[in-house]
Amino acid sequence: MTGGFDTAYVLWVVIVLALCTVITRAGYLFVGDWLPLPEGLRRALRFAPVATLVGIIVPDLLPWSGHAWPEVDLRLPAAVFGIWVMARTRSAVLTIVAGMLALWLLQWLLA
Amino acid sequence: MTAVPSIPVDGTFRDGFREGTRAIAGLLFATGTWGLVTGVAMVKSGLTESMALAMTLLVYAGSAQLTSLPLIITGAPIWLIFAAGLVVNLRFLIFAAALHPYFRHLPWQRRLALGYFTTDMSFVLFMPRYGEAKVRGTAEQVGFFVGCILPGWFSWQIPSILGIYLGSQVPTEWSPEFAALLALLAITVPLINGRPVLLASIAAGIVAWVAQPLPLRLGLALAVVAGIATGLWAERAKSRLSARKSEPQP
Repeated sequence: MTGGFDTAYVLWVVIVLALCTVITRAGYLFVGDWLPLPEGLRRALRFAPVATLVGIIVPDLLPWSGHAWPEVDLRLPAAVFGIWVMARTRSAVLTIVAGMLALWLLQWLLA
Repeated sequence: MTAVPSIPVDGTFRDGFREGTRAIAGLLFATGTWGLVTGVAMVKSGLTESMALAMTLLVYAGSAQLTSLPLIITGAPIWLIFAAGLVVNLRFLIFAAALHPYFRHLPWQRRLALGYFTTDMSFVLFMPRYGEAKVRGTAEQVGFFVGCILPGWFSWQIPSILGIYLGSQVPTEWSPEFAALLALLAITVPLINGRPVLLASIAAGIVAWVAQPLPLRLGLALAVVAGIATGLWAERAKSRLSARKSEPQP
């Protein structure tokens, strides 16, 4: 873990990611008056945030590369427990704490 | 409250602001936890402290930052990181489209600021509250939004900077990156508030899992498309069913 990346390269990454932030978050507030989203498209896009979040979470939780069988690790039961806690309590903090404790407990039990 | 001086403060704006801060208060610890985790993840991936600092202060997008780290490690081309950042941020385009009627009357500097500082949390709190409002763009609504995004910025940046400078002390065996995943789960679960959304997320999950060996995080784009298609289909099936039963619409 050394800070061995080329500074110019990382700076470019920061610049393009900052651009992503501005374009996606503020962009429509500038073109919205001339580019109205049709109601159908708006309805369709309502499902996009959930789909995106699930699309980030699932491969992170159950990675596989196409060459080997997916590795099921202890994060999966801990995450399922976290989902249950969130559904019951609606508390994000409780979810993070319960999920971390569940993972550490499982790691300690099976160590 | 002088951090956003360009927005006129009248009674209604202040009322909205107070309501907004009250609404976001319960979520600030979660935001902070995620910020801390992201800060730690950046330095654990090998970014220098100053580069990680520049990233958190300029990018201010946890999911895009966390997505970029594995790409930086493999030395991916800049355009690829840009494309991945756009896809991961796509949900904010939808947020902006939904928020546009409330902010369209404002001067461009304020639209830029309100857009740039938009977070998942602020949107999730704002829309159920003002989604059905007859008049859109009132001072109270803008105030509510600012009341959400201003504390949100501090509750993200302070722990994130803390994480950058303390990150090297955190043992990897604690799996600090799992806390980031739990934070994402905590955002997702409350959004699943009906059968069409549930089916959409199941479809997105299956496609994202099957398609993850594809390059360029193409699996994520496919998952979004599958989720939207399934959600629309389920919504249409649901309304057809309730029309047949001739029940009053909820």
